[in-house]
Amino acid sequence: MSAKRVRLLIWKEFTQLRRDPLLIRLLLLMPVLQLIMFGYVVAVDVRNLSTAVVDLDQTVASRQLQAAFSGSGYFTITRTPASEADLQPLLDSGTIKVALVIPQGTQDRLGRGETAPIGIIVDGSDSQISAIGSGYASQIIAQFNTDRRTSSGAQLDAPGIDARVRVMFNPTLDPINTMIPGLIAAIMMISLMVIMSQAVVKERESGTLEQMFVTPIKATEYLIGKLTPYAALATAQMALVALGGLYWFKVPFNGSFWVVLVGLLLFMFTCLGLGLLISLVSRTRHQAQQAVMFLMIPTMVLSGFIFPIQSMPPAIQPLTNLIPLTFALEVLRGAFVKGSGFEALAVPMLALAGFGVVIFGASIIATRRRIAE
Amino acid sequence: MQPTTGPAISLRGLTKTFGDFTAVDGIDLDVPRGQIFGFLGPNGSGKTTTIRMLTGTLRPKSGTAEVLGVDVVRHPERVKRRIGYMSQKFALFEDMTVDENLKFYAGVYDLDPATFAAQREYVLRMADLVGREDELTSNLSVGWRQRLALGAATIHEPELLFLDEPTSGVDPVARRQFWDLLYDLASRGVTLFVTTHYMDEASHCNRLAFIYRGRIIADGSPAEIRADHMEQRILDITTPDADAVLEWLEKADGVDEAYLSGASLHAVVPTGSPLTEAGLRERLAAAGHVGVEVTEVDPTIEDVFVNLVARQR
Repeated sequence: MSAKRVRLLIWKEFTQLRRDPLLIRLLLLMPVLQLIMFGYVVAVDVRNLSTAVVDLDQTVASRQLQAAFSGSGYFTITRTPASEADLQPLLDSGTIKVALVIPQGTQDRLGRGETAPIGIIVDGSDSQISAIGSGYASQIIAQFNTDRRTSSGAQLDAPGIDARVRVMFNPTLDPINTMIPGLIAAIMMISLMVIMSQAVVKERESGTLEQMFVTPIKATEYLIGKLTPYAALATAQMALVALGGLYWFKVPFNGSFWVVLVGLLLFMFTCLGLGLLISLVSRTRHQAQQAVMFLMIPTMVLSGFIFPIQSMPPAIQPLTNLIPLTFALEVLRGAFVKGSGFEALAVPMLALAGFGVVIFGASIIATRRRIAE
Repeated sequence: MQPTTGPAISLRGLTKTFGDFTAVDGIDLDVPRGQIFGFLGPNGSGKTTTIRMLTGTLRPKSGTAEVLGVDVVRHPERVKRRIGYMSQKFALFEDMTVDENLKFYAGVYDLDPATFAAQREYVLRMADLVGREDELTSNLSVGWRQRLALGAATIHEPELLFLDEPTSGVDPVARRQFWDLLYDLASRGVTLFVTTHYMDEASHCNRLAFIYRGRIIADGSPAEIRADHMEQRILDITTPDADAVLEWLEKADGVDEAYLSGASLHAVVPTGSPLTEAGLRERLAAAGHVGVEVTEVDPTIEDVFVNLVARQR
């Protein structure tokens, strides 16, 4: 292997990158855009949910309950239909997201010290809204019950409840703290897979790949020359996301820098390997794009990047172990949020190492064999 | 030191299969040094596969291949520095400038600065690109790109140059200029191994080999091939209605074969056939085809090739 030729190949790659202003802009814009998207749009708190209240009780207690809902800021009471039957069209049309049904006799039951059932209907078409909305609703009811008991002098010895409720009422911080570390890994994967597979396929299309292998360039030299610039670019992108997350979104970093670095390095081999494998199965850049999409959809859905693994059906959950990003997320989120060290993260670290060895190794062997074909 | 005498290329029983498909089927071939060797055949006949085995990028299934006296199957790296390769794609980096492309290939072959300076000068002159060194190669038109690709492929002064359909998609004037450059290289002692499906280019070669379905069906000098493989006569027919006449000829008695050749039609008749120029013209006229000219011509390489392929079927 000749270090001189590797340097020449790296120079060539950067020269070509420099000539592609669109790609450079994309590479810088993509992390910024995703930060904004996932930081503000996805992780944004659910507020002012349009709510309908069917108050069949029409008592002081029922009005207090309504006030508790509207006063929370999460629910805005926009409709007050007379009967439950009127709710269906409102939910169907999306006019309201949440409905609250206070049955007749609620105040009486409460007065007798009995359980008073209250109906809450949440629009399930948006899992985010339904999860957060029903969470808030049950919190408000719990708070309401506490307030009632307190005012009626039933359980004055419960001063801690209020504070605990408030912490749980603070979900705005929670999603972004796990989203940003996840985004670092996701961006590395997307950008390495897309850009690297495109770069190799482009070279095959133009015939320069074929040309280079007639020269003394060896497959290993070519691979190092190809992988190094893209690994460097991906590192820059990750740094951008990490800095944006830490300083703009103020994501707390509780863990060790080295844990994150080792985790990302191990994951990088998997991403480079996937990029190479895509370039092998794709004849054109368009096919490479489709292959990336084919891999990205299950990855995004099953890794826990967007939907928590715990909320998936039990039959699906084992499948998440086949997705390398799952383990990268475990390492990054563990390190960022919980401050976990190498010991606590041994299992996902080993899994990442395993994926790296298998996928990167297979891609190198396959590339060496098929590179000129 | 590598031997500098003996054939430039020597193949014995060279075979390559892809699954069940035999792309190259036990070919034997000797290419003398310092000549332009034409490797002809239709698309998919095994030309490119053969070149890829000769340049050491593809391993044959069986057989031997010696290139410049080196066993290229066992030691491809020993020959790579001494050969050049240019494909029909003119594999230049289109997002790099003329100079950057040359710098890259010079670096790949580890040329020292003095040699590179001299070769760069030569290539820029040869490709008529002096003053356009900083232009992106994607901005060059086809003829210039083709010459630059030739320059990049020969920047290390190879002894043997492989050209895989180097003129496909290039206009006739640029093709003519390109062949002048190839003659120039040959006159300096470089062996050229050229594949093409332009039959008129075949007559530019010192020697030819025809490959069809992975087998070599004829080889020798253009004159030898014409003499050895053409037992029939060729009648050249010009007509304003080529389609109808061709259809008639394909069914006509005493005509072995008929096909388009350039602007006219060629009818192949057996050597002993009594059919004359005037006789065919009369028969065509009787069939309602008027204004037809018939002339007997010497068979071209294309005629030979069409007949060789027809005989294989």
